[in-house]
Amino acid sequence: MSVLQSWLVQALFIFLITGSIGELIDPCGHISPESPVVQLGSNFTAVCVLKEDCMDYYHVNANFIVWKISHFTIPKEQYTIINKTAASVTLTDVASLNTQLICNILTFGQLEQNVYGITLISGLPPEKPKNLNCIVNEGRKMKCYWDPGRETYLETNFTLKSEWATEKFADCKTKRDTPTSCTVDYSPVYFVNMEVWVEAENALGKVTSDHINFDPVDKVKPNAPHNLSVSNSEELSSILKLTWINSNMKNVIRLKYDIQYRTKGASTWSQIPPEDTASTRSSFTVQDLKPFTEYVFRIRCMKEDGKGFWSDWSEEASGITYEDRPSKAPSFWYKIDPSHTHGYRSVQLMWKTLPPFEANGKILGYEVTLTRWKSRLQNYTVNDSKLTVNLTNDRYIATLTARNAVGRSDASVLTIPACDFQGYLAESKCYLITVTPVYADGPGSPESVKAYLKQAPPSKGPTVRTKKVGKNEAVLEWDQLPVDVQNGFIRNYTIFYRTNIGNETAVNVDSSHTEYTLSSLTSDTLYMVRMAAYTDEGGKDGPEFTFTTPKFAQGEIEAIVVPVCLAFLLTTLLGVLFCFNKRDLIKKHIWPNVPDPSKSHIAQWSPHTPPRHNFNSKDQMYSDGNFTDVSVVEIEANDKKAFPEDLKTLELFKKEKVSTEGHSSGIGGSSCMSSSRPSISSSDENESAQNTSSTVQYSTVVHSGYRHQVPSVQVFSRSESTQPLLDSEERPEDLQLVDNVDGSDGILPRQQYFKQNCSQHETSQDISHFERSNQVSSVNEEDFVRLKQQQISGISQSCGSGQMKMFQEVSAADAFGPGTEGQGERFKTAGMEAVLDEGMPKSYLPQTVRQGGYMPQ
Amino acid sequence: MLACLCTVLWHLPAVPALNRTGDPGPGPSIQKTYDLTRYLEHQLRSLAGTYLNYLGPPFNEPDFNPPRLGADTLPRATVNLEVWRSLNDKLRLTQNYEAYSHLLCYLRGLNRQAATAELRRSLAHFCTSLQGLLGSIAGVMATLGYPLPQPLPGTEPTWTPGPAHSDFLQKMDDFWLLKELQTWLWRSAKDFNRLKKKMQPPAAAVTLHLEAHGF
Repeated sequence: MSVLQSWLVQALFIFLITGSIGELIDPCGHISPESPVVQLGSNFTAVCVLKEDCMDYYHVNANFIVWKISHFTIPKEQYTIINKTAASVTLTDVASLNTQLICNILTFGQLEQNVYGITLISGLPPEKPKNLNCIVNEGRKMKCYWDPGRETYLETNFTLKSEWATEKFADCKTKRDTPTSCTVDYSPVYFVNMEVWVEAENALGKVTSDHINFDPVDKVKPNAPHNLSVSNSEELSSILKLTWINSNMKNVIRLKYDIQYRTKGASTWSQIPPEDTASTRSSFTVQDLKPFTEYVFRIRCMKEDGKGFWSDWSEEASGITYEDRPSKAPSFWYKIDPSHTHGYRSVQLMWKTLPPFEANGKILGYEVTLTRWKSRLQNYTVNDSKLTVNLTNDRYIATLTARNAVGRSDASVLTIPACDFQGYLAESKCYLITVTPVYADGPGSPESVKAYLKQAPPSKGPTVRTKKVGKNEAVLEWDQLPVDVQNGFIRNYTIFYRTNIGNETAVNVDSSHTEYTLSSLTSDTLYMVRMAAYTDEGGKDGPEFTFTTPKFAQGEIEAIVVPVCLAFLLTTLLGVLFCFNKRDLIKKHIWPNVPDPSKSHIAQWSPHTPPRHNFNSKDQMYSDGNFTDVSVVEIEANDKKAFPEDLKTLELFKKEKVSTEGHSSGIGGSSCMSSSRPSISSSDENESAQNTSSTVQYSTVVHSGYRHQVPSVQVFSRSESTQPLLDSEERPEDLQLVDNVDGSDGILPRQQYFKQNCSQHETSQDISHFERSNQVSSVNEEDFVRLKQQQISGISQSCGSGQMKMFQEVSAADAFGPGTEGQGERFKTAGMEAVLDEGMPKSYLPQTVRQGGYMPQ
Repeated sequence: MLACLCTVLWHLPAVPALNRTGDPGPGPSIQKTYDLTRYLEHQLRSLAGTYLNYLGPPFNEPDFNPPRLGADTLPRATVNLEVWRSLNDKLRLTQNYEAYSHLLCYLRGLNRQAATAELRRSLAHFCTSLQGLLGSIAGVMATLGYPLPQPLPGTEPTWTPGPAHSDFLQKMDDFWLLKELQTWLWRSAKDFNRLKKKMQPPAAAVTLHLEAHGF
């Protein structure tokens, strides 16, 4: 029943539709929109509007509207009653492409009466076309193509638009069957940039691709080169020359080429390096080909700069390289007919024809030569691949060469042995037996083996010798026995070794070795070693060899000596360093300061002695007679370590000072010319003398004497009285005093010098000045000694202005040293200023001069 | 010396001739225009051959060299060498532009007269190409900042095959149009070659400058 109803409805619907189209029947209403195109997945609303007369006729209104889609009733929830005559339906997420939507009314008796129907078309809007590109096939019009994107399910029109900067071209509309490309109507103009884009449009929208701007000449696909021909060269069998005719594009653009070749029958193409064919040309010579081989070529071209497209491949062309002489001689062998007649034998020589890649051409024939021992050649020219000759029973040498149009191959050589070869094998001789298999198509690879008819013991034993001898081991080596004396296969060696007294030890060694290491030997022992070689049939001893193991292993002595030396060196170095650090202490203990009697100037400031102080003559100044002047003598005697040997040293110093005429300085290096040693001694003097009360006293005396210009008689006499006190025993209390000083230098010399200077200068300023300079020079020199004695001579000789800084440092240190004499310090400071002001340190020499100048006082 | 070199290198990006990453300058478009003149010259050679054959003898005879009669309206490409040399860029380009504007108009008239479809197609394509050349020259002028010559309304050349022209004289005009076009294309090739070379020197000068500092 329902099926029947369905049929009925359908028939009515068709009738209605045709009626609406043909306007034969006036429908009862209509649906808006009339022919909708809906985007897939979107919502769609249609409205059915009923006509008044129809409503009256059927007694219905909009509430009676029933929507059907593809014959299925749409649920009432999707309906909306707009007014009495109109109701709408909303379809959500339209998925089907073509559907029929029908508006019905439910008439009396629940009969569905069709009112109107529409076809719902759904699809997608076009996507933006991508990858737009164009190609200009030479001599044809430009074609552009693109990727249209997703399927729209709708009729979509693509329009290719193109323009110059100054002009627009006609649109290119795609044909229905080729929606992804379009060929423009005009011939492109090269060297003028154009802009091209594509528009896609359907019922749901219109979209434009990206614009591309290009010069059509950069999109050219030239015609393939044509009339490709190949020619060979008689001179060179490895080349072929290609010639072709270029496309007409060569008049417009420059071309590059791609040439491929292969041997005929091969499947893969070889490529000519692109850089060799990167410019316009109409011929090319292909090299490194095999001779007498047929090659197939093809070629294509494109714009030289790589813009555009490769042309199609040209038609293939082939050519054969010229012949070359055969690269290899044919291998050949022989067959001797066993039924030989008396004195002669029939020998058949056979060879294989060369394969084409070795023949390098058409083989025109083979040449065979046969040479009997010391006789002339016999030549044969053969076209076949075998030759039968009658030979004597002698040994023959046969050679074979193949010949083609260009030349002949190297010769292959074969020895045909003498007929009576067999039966002469000797015993204990090594034979090399070679077997060459002969197959139907030629010989195979030969195999060889060594053999003896009968073995025997070697006729000589191997000679062993040492390669290297260590303390406990020895490396022995020997040579393989020559084949002549082996008499069989050497199976193994035995090494016998013994000491003079001990037992003999035997070691077996494999025959493949030529070296063996004897271990656990005793050092410093004579060994005797010999060796035997064994074949299967017995052995033979070689000569005996003796060697002595050394007492020490290599490097053992060095291993002992080197550390000892290093340790010694280190100890010495440490000792020296220690001594250097503690040198003051050591100096005090080992070579205490000894006053130098030659420096005594006590007489200088004696009013009675001026005539003696001729400063122009240093010899006189430091002569023995001046000893009486040295008031410091007693201070030196105070040193607690003034042992007799020290005294000797002292004496030595004294003598040296005396002997260094003109260079020694009795006043502690006040002279620029003073050598270092007297300076040291004089500074040492200062050290030891600093606490001597007598000197202090003395200085006071001198000072006053100076001030008043009247030397104190008392002081003078005391000074003289110190002379005999050179012996240390006489002033034991001074030893302790010196001990307390503990090496603080710089104070006493001042006093001493001050004293001396006092005796020489009238004014206190001058005195201080001289004291200053003297002290500086002496201390300075000592400082240099401390500084690893560098530039001693330089300083003492030049005493340049460069020393200024050093003076300052030294004097400053001295000035704030642990001095006990305020007076001394004061003088020192004054002296420094004086020195700085007067620029005295610039030179010592002027001092001396000045000193001398002051002397006459 | 090194400091000097470094300074020069530092300022290199500021040298306009070398700083072409953003704006390619007139160089490439001049080169393109030059290539186009050569291409058109080549194109015209075959076109003229066909057309002169269409005109028939004596126009297609190789040694045919008629007096220039009635072709006075055609722009003349021939010019005194010294005058040509002394032309400035603007004048040179303007002359080219004006010449091709006129020639193109005459050529379109020629197109209408041509008999065979093939010849008409060739002529049409040549006209399009010549149109492209005009656009190219205009582009170069724009790049160099020169204004395009505005054709005066009265002087717009028109192809008027008046009744005064006999058929032979008409053909003579056609002959001269093609001949003049050929001469103009030759000249333009030289013009643009000259311009092309002129646009290159700045970079070379900087290189030289650098070398002088480097050594």
